[in-house]
Amino acid sequence: MIAKKYAIPLIVVILATAIVCVFIFLPKRETIRVSTTTSLYATGLLDVLADWFKAKHPEVDIHFIAVGSGAALELAAKGDVDMVFVHAPSLEYEYIQQRVLVEGVIIAYNNFTITGPMEDPAEIQGLDPITAFKRIYSACEEGKTIFVSRGDNSGTHTRELLLWKLAGLNPQGKKWYIETGTGMTETLLTTNEMRAYTLSDMGTYLKLKREGRLPNIESLVSSGRELINIYSVYLVNHTMFPHTKYNLAKEFAQFVSSEEGQELIGQFGVDVFGEPLFYPALDRRDELRQIWEWFAEISLEGSTTIRHMNYTMNMKILQIYAEKTLVL
Amino acid sequence: MEEILEITLRSIIVSLSAILLSATWSIPITLFLSRQKTRIANIIMSFFNSLVGIPTVIVGLFLYMILSSSGPLGFLRILYTPHAIIIGQSLLITPWIVSLSYEVFVKARNTYWELALALGADYFSANMVMLRETLPDLLVILLIAFSRAVGELGVALLVGGNIRGYTRVLTTTIALAVSRGEFEFALALGAMLVFVLFMIALTIRLIKAYKE
Repeated sequence: MIAKKYAIPLIVVILATAIVCVFIFLPKRETIRVSTTTSLYATGLLDVLADWFKAKHPEVDIHFIAVGSGAALELAAKGDVDMVFVHAPSLEYEYIQQRVLVEGVIIAYNNFTITGPMEDPAEIQGLDPITAFKRIYSACEEGKTIFVSRGDNSGTHTRELLLWKLAGLNPQGKKWYIETGTGMTETLLTTNEMRAYTLSDMGTYLKLKREGRLPNIESLVSSGRELINIYSVYLVNHTMFPHTKYNLAKEFAQFVSSEEGQELIGQFGVDVFGEPLFYPALDRRDELRQIWEWFAEISLEGSTTIRHMNYTMNMKILQIYAEKTLVL
Repeated sequence: MEEILEITLRSIIVSLSAILLSATWSIPITLFLSRQKTRIANIIMSFFNSLVGIPTVIVGLFLYMILSSSGPLGFLRILYTPHAIIIGQSLLITPWIVSLSYEVFVKARNTYWELALALGADYFSANMVMLRETLPDLLVILLIAFSRAVGELGVALLVGGNIRGYTRVLTTTIALAVSRGEFEFALALGAMLVFVLFMIALTIRLIKAYKE
């Protein structure tokens, strides 16, 4: 008898909880899932864009999953998201080849910056990025300083590896080459503590610098074609993953690359930082696409996955990419 | 502030659902195991004991592989929903509940269970008597499991995705604040987390004291 007295209320409580939590958490609207690089999300830009989009489309919810560019693309390749925001041309290129990503469009750009100690032991201030990396390498070899790398397959990390490659150097395994495996904020703080050099995106650096968290380091080199940071948006291939919400995602992508969306990007952060964190890509799309292609191209050299393909074949795919860009 | 309250509430509901869900299989498993004196039961218990310290990221990754669109249960389409976090956390705390309640049940078997059987109860009723008598201990165990669930990060990040207004819980908000360099805010959220756990611990202690 005791058994029945307790069993029934217990079962009722558990079932009620189960039903309540299923219903509480059911999404009320249509949702688009977007995987994104952390640098775009952490600044708050994407939330601003999403809020404007939602004002026009109240029936749509946009869910951002903020991870590194490498992980964001991997989520797309598994069909777990409907679209991606990334800034790693060489990685993007691989996924375009696998036909996972379609209808890419460049939405914004800014600069990477090589930051280092105030004293600048490698004497790189004002140099071009490649020479700067060469100087850092030799200064590190002489034991004057160290270099901190993200080491997390993010867009910034990919670019840093590309810069080493362009400089014709390989720092892997050196004692002065420290891989943190963390996000940009943590890596910059580590760099500040160690008075080392690192490559950072401009947005994160500016934000932390202005908060006074980086007293020991400053931006030393931030101009040059090699440091242009290109943000693109892609839709996930609808024919490969039929469950993805292609039409809604496309509408959001179109909004972001429209004049209105581009203006929002250009104005973002001006009130806080006095300068924009990202520049709209609208007026300079052709030029940026050339730079994007250049990055994708130089990353091909020596890449094991694509070695068997000949150069003209690669160029054809790049042209397909270029045409796709015009679709939106 | 409103958002913090919402996130805290979501954390509590998600983890509470997770421990209730987990209890529905963990406690029957332990009831069964505590009656066995075979070598296999010992091996199974050792297995659960060894899983107590499993990194939450591993559980999250395992579940991600299963729930991903390209995974075996991808058709359920529950990846990046609070339901996925609930399932993940309930799996995560199963070894805790089993390991902790095993000892309690083994002790109770020698007293309440045998007494109930001697008084003519069937196995099911005897189990229920035992559950009722060990309820205060079980509540404390569930609270420990709740602390583990509400304080874990790996599962919530990997299968929840830290989506604002949907799957963002206290720990993922803290991780985001750290990645944004907002350390003071992260610490404030940490204090909030401890406060939630403290209030629940206090409630359970009071209930226990009242019962005794």
